Amino acid sequence: MSEFEIKDCSLLIRMSGLPAAVNLRELRDRVSICNPDVLYHHFCETPLAPSFDYPDYRNDFAVWAKWRLGDEILAERLGMIDPYLFPSMEELRAAALEIIDDRLGEVTMIPWARPGHEFYFMQAITVAFDTGERIRHPDELHAAIDRMTNGSIYFHVLEARRREPVGQDDFSSWLDGQEGNWHHYQTAIRAIDVTFHSLSEIRRELVEGLSKPRTKKTRGRKQ
Amino acid sequence: MSHSLEAYTDIAGLPAIRQMQRLGERLRGLRVVHVNSTSEGGGVAEILAWMVPLMQELGIDTAWKVIRGTPAFFGVTKSIHNGLQGKIVPLTKKDWGVYYDVNVSNLSELREPLEGADVVVIHDPQPAPLLELCPKRKGKWIWRAHIDISRPDRAVWKSLRPYVEKYDASIFSMREFAQPLPHPQFIIAPSIDPLSDKNITLDPAELEKERARFGLDPHRPLLVQISRFDRFKDPVGVIQAYQLVRKVLPVQLVLAGGEATDDPEGKEILEEVMGAAGDDPDIHVLLLPPDSHRTINALQRMADIIIQKSTREGFGLTVTEGLWKGKPVIGGDVGGIKLQIANHYTGYLVNTPEGAAHRIRFLLHHQEQMQAMGKKAREFVRENFLLTRQLREYLTLFAWLLRGEGKHTIMV
Repeated sequence: MSEFEIKDCSLLIRMSGLPAAVNLRELRDRVSICNPDVLYHHFCETPLAPSFDYPDYRNDFAVWAKWRLGDEILAERLGMIDPYLFPSMEELRAAALEIIDDRLGEVTMIPWARPGHEFYFMQAITVAFDTGERIRHPDELHAAIDRMTNGSIYFHVLEARRREPVGQDDFSSWLDGQEGNWHHYQTAIRAIDVTFHSLSEIRRELVEGLSKPRTKKTRGRKQ
Repeated sequence: MSHSLEAYTDIAGLPAIRQMQRLGERLRGLRVVHVNSTSEGGGVAEILAWMVPLMQELGIDTAWKVIRGTPAFFGVTKSIHNGLQGKIVPLTKKDWGVYYDVNVSNLSELREPLEGADVVVIHDPQPAPLLELCPKRKGKWIWRAHIDISRPDRAVWKSLRPYVEKYDASIFSMREFAQPLPHPQFIIAPSIDPLSDKNITLDPAELEKERARFGLDPHRPLLVQISRFDRFKDPVGVIQAYQLVRKVLPVQLVLAGGEATDDPEGKEILEEVMGAAGDDPDIHVLLLPPDSHRTINALQRMADIIIQKSTREGFGLTVTEGLWKGKPVIGGDVGGIKLQIANHYTGYLVNTPEGAAHRIRFLLHHQEQMQAMGKKAREFVRENFLLTRQLREYLTLFAWLLRGEGKHTIMV
């Protein structure tokens, strides 16, 4: 069996170089040309940004539409974009643009933000590093995940989807390569709706999901 | 006084400390030099006083160099500082010559460590010309702007920009503070040291002593704003908010700030504040000496609600200080306050004295909500505004600059 190498990561935010948008038209124009890393940041790197309880929306565009443009209809539509359902950033971009274009066609006045509440196009850098910790057997997964930092959860569950094999978390990829049948673990992992959870919640869901099959198995043995 | 990284374990949490140590391991042996223009006094020296020892503890060979200047130089750099923050300042060619020449005069001592370093961090504009004065440099050079240069005096920025644009990267405290530059610009927010006199947990006896010293009633709600007497901090607006609340609730107000006798505008504002306070015995206007960190700490801890009702603000770290004490903060919807107050979660963002009064009354009538907010406020600071986060971000930047080659994600 190969070992699972636990990584951790740290993000740092940087300016994208694009001017800030003050209204929906400018947002649209910049979304259409921005670097894919900018889209990725505003859609996918938000779990590492501070949030409370259950924020209205999980991407920065929807949040801006609601709080700064005052356009709840647009916010609701943008808020339902699940970035992990798109095979590429370009398809994600196209989906976002379509929603914005539809809205621009509906409104009689272009929604705009007050000075000081512009949309800043940002991106991030990620430095990942090996923690030196290893998981040797799939049954050790839940305990190891329980001890992981938010950075590790982000790297192995969310950031992993951008790497090969695209769209898959690292735990599932590792289980694919292990001897034996670990479908019950993979099913438990895939059942988690990562878009709507904070990193702490993803950790808790993973631990719970991966503990259940093991408990059943242990009981079975005892009987 | 600086503390070891382990001293922060109970506060920041073991995972955060372990994460930093692991990142530090990847950078062990790296030679880093920080350069600024003062070894004590001011926010930059305060940051370097804890950051340099912590980087050293992580195995990074870190040095802190201070450039020596003449009174004329510091007069010019004060004007540059004001100009970058938007004040129109008349700087002549001769002034810029003084600025450059002082940097040249520091070279004999600084050239060797700077040219040999893997990473050089130049803090603020004073030492910015050093980069072009070290042509044999081999490392990455970062310009760290601690001030808001979002709307600079164009003439000042035009003269400074040629020095700054040659750097490999720059760091700003907020995205709103940045200027377009031809290199990557990173955002690293300021942070607080939870073990400093301003933030460390205080004994209840010390709180009671301070309460008695200022004649504060322990049985009535206390509102506190800590800030210098500056028009943009809107102390008169805070008094107006208090007066609106006072009509229905027996609150007390403390407005505490530094002595302003050498600042003509500060003196004028203080007079306005005293006039607005009138003879109300429940408004306490306190002029505190610059080293009153524990007193400020005590006032924030005694408060029921912290106020920072600025109408214009740089970062406004007093907000984070208040949140760290587990208090909801009512702040102006401006500058860095917007980053620190999660509206409706850790406090409220307001635009007017009426708005502040409304939120104060609501909170005082909903003690449970106030406590819940305070609890969230402290956790928010723990995750986002402790010095451990700031240190981690510097390490992240060093690693990326040295090995990133412009990629989004790198493995070190």
